[in-house]
Amino acid sequence: MAMRSSVGVQDYSGSPLVAGPIPVLPALQGLLPGGLPRGQVLTVDAAGALPLALVAGAVPAGVPTVDLWCAVVGLPESGMLAAAGMGANLDRLVLVDRPGERWADVVATLLSAAGLVLVQPPGPPPAGITRRLTALARQHGAALVVVGHWEGARLRLQVTSSLWTGLEHGHGHLQGRRVKVVADGRGAGGRPRSAWLWLPGPDGSVAGADLGVVESLEAAG
Amino acid sequence: MTRVIALWCPDWPVVAAGADPRTPAIVVSNGRVTACTAAAREVGVRRGQKLRDAQRRCADLEVHDDDLDAQARLFEQVIAVVEALCPRVEVIRPGLLAVPARGPARYYRSEQAAADTVRDVVEAEGFECAAGVADGSFAAALAARVLPAGIVVPPGETARFLAPHPVSVLDRPELAGVLVRLGIRTLGDLAALPAPDVLARFGADGALAHRLARGLQARPPATRPPGEDLAAAMSFDPPLDAEPVVFAAKSLADQLHENLGSRGLACVRVEVEVTTSDGRSWTRLWRHDGLLSSPALAERVRWQLDAWRATPRKGSPGPLGGGVVRLRLAPDQVVVDSGRQLSLWGSRVASDAVERAAGRIQVMLGHAAVTRPVLTGGRGPGEQVTKIPWGDRLDSVRAAKAPWPGRVPNPAPAVVHPEPQPVLVVDEYGRPVTVSGRCEVSAPPAEIMLAGEPLAVTGWTGPWPAHEQWWDAAVARRLARFQVATDDGRAWLLLVEGGRWLVEACYA
Repeated sequence: MAMRSSVGVQDYSGSPLVAGPIPVLPALQGLLPGGLPRGQVLTVDAAGALPLALVAGAVPAGVPTVDLWCAVVGLPESGMLAAAGMGANLDRLVLVDRPGERWADVVATLLSAAGLVLVQPPGPPPAGITRRLTALARQHGAALVVVGHWEGARLRLQVTSSLWTGLEHGHGHLQGRRVKVVADGRGAGGRPRSAWLWLPGPDGSVAGADLGVVESLEAAG
Repeated sequence: MTRVIALWCPDWPVVAAGADPRTPAIVVSNGRVTACTAAAREVGVRRGQKLRDAQRRCADLEVHDDDLDAQARLFEQVIAVVEALCPRVEVIRPGLLAVPARGPARYYRSEQAAADTVRDVVEAEGFECAAGVADGSFAAALAARVLPAGIVVPPGETARFLAPHPVSVLDRPELAGVLVRLGIRTLGDLAALPAPDVLARFGADGALAHRLARGLQARPPATRPPGEDLAAAMSFDPPLDAEPVVFAAKSLADQLHENLGSRGLACVRVEVEVTTSDGRSWTRLWRHDGLLSSPALAERVRWQLDAWRATPRKGSPGPLGGGVVRLRLAPDQVVVDSGRQLSLWGSRVASDAVERAAGRIQVMLGHAAVTRPVLTGGRGPGEQVTKIPWGDRLDSVRAAKAPWPGRVPNPAPAVVHPEPQPVLVVDEYGRPVTVSGRCEVSAPPAEIMLAGEPLAVTGWTGPWPAHEQWWDAAVARRLARFQVATDDGRAWLLLVEGGRWLVEACYA
């Protein structure tokens, strides 16, 4: 990546002249060095905290200079409170909860305007639609994050291990979830990367939970 | 000074909400009463009161949300009958309109007769109303409020008529607060002050209030070279339905503002003209004593089109006569723009590209399909987020800052089901777990069965009881929440209500 900074040079109208990759949360830097590459498709295995963490990284609260928007299509169940807890600026979100049959048209429209489009297709998308939307993402320099399978995705993020803490038998409350997230695919540079994360931590934010100990124990066991 | 007939429909928000004037009912916005019925007023409910205070005075109070769109739609019926009598109806806001008095007063022989005629036709339509006549629409609106049914203030007497009114009628709460503390309690006191001093102390807005108090127009009309067309218009080919036209209206309003702004002007009255494919054109004047911002203007176009769509005009082949071919916004009353300074780079809420994309999707799927999330108050994770349709105003939602005792603790679940899904919760012997009215759990949950899939429980907590809106039997809920972690690494927010277990959210 030539341009590491997420904040490009700005002209006076507020649109970045030079667009860098879409920023990610600091805790996800290990998985996605530099950020989400623009113009590419990335898949996540399921709706939940992981796609919301990508949203929170792209439109962080308190950084008004970046003219980046994020659209969420076909995910009426995504917890906006959780996204806000991870640091997302909800003012920069556009939700299309029930696009129905026209989800592909909706995504195509949004790719021209939003830097990050998160979509859950209602079923396995036909090859024609996949190609068309992939091309549109490349053309507009937007990142398309798909929940589920996508033919030709550059990168795949998966939660491979997950454990909630804080809950006892009859008392306590959920404190945080330690997960292992693995990134693989053509965009990962050959070798899968993985990271232990608090997704989310006790205050709702995402933090690294680098337990090398756990890793080595697993390898030994 | 132009003579104006103002027609005022009292308590319009409650009328539009469909409340019976004989039962106590209020309309609430931001936790405060914005309008109430006569029955509610009798027991001491007042505008501006807190909802809680109003409810304390009257236990069986009917509460409605403030729905400007519905108010505008219903007011269209009033406008239609007034328009049949006198031309150039100006809508000040839903519930209040103004008509120039000169023409009707000549036709009906006197201003009183004209005002009575207007009032009679609106009352014949079934709406309670009052009509007042005075110099300028501000004074006329106050004249309409004089009991029992409005008065005619003779020409030149307006300042004297206004003098005893409290400064609060200026509808500038901040200014009124300062004035009252300075001992200036009535419009007469304010009018007695020298104009340059008022301008020096209170700025442009204060000077405007001063002019109103003296019975003058809020802003002196601006003179401009004749023949200059400041209107913004757009033609549609093929003809469009109402919904897309509203989006066009927004950009037109921006264009209009740019036209005016580049000349240092602003407008207080805008004419919206819609031409349909069958060659008809409908116009409506919209007035605002502040300045009409472009979203406010687009909103008015939406009210207008919505109302026309809902009640097709006589003789038109269908709603909007088969489609809109042209929309024109013309500044009807132009004034010098004084004392309004935008921030240096402007303050845009949404970038143009996003605005356009959202607009296109709304055309595809309907107005409510594109939303923006807003954090609001509530206990459950679903209640704490409200989704507001794109383009609607983001205020008028419950404040998130208020304390919500019994709120589900952080972190929030990442998957919140729009509709809670049924689930089976059993103990280690396979018997359903129940929660008694005293919040005693029959046995520790050992397994949950979600859509036929059994999941072993590794940890649980609860019950967290919530007794919501107990004061209103129709919406009262009594429920208890549980957090349950299962062996597949997920955790769940369950709620039990009326003996039924539901999954409210999933911590995934």
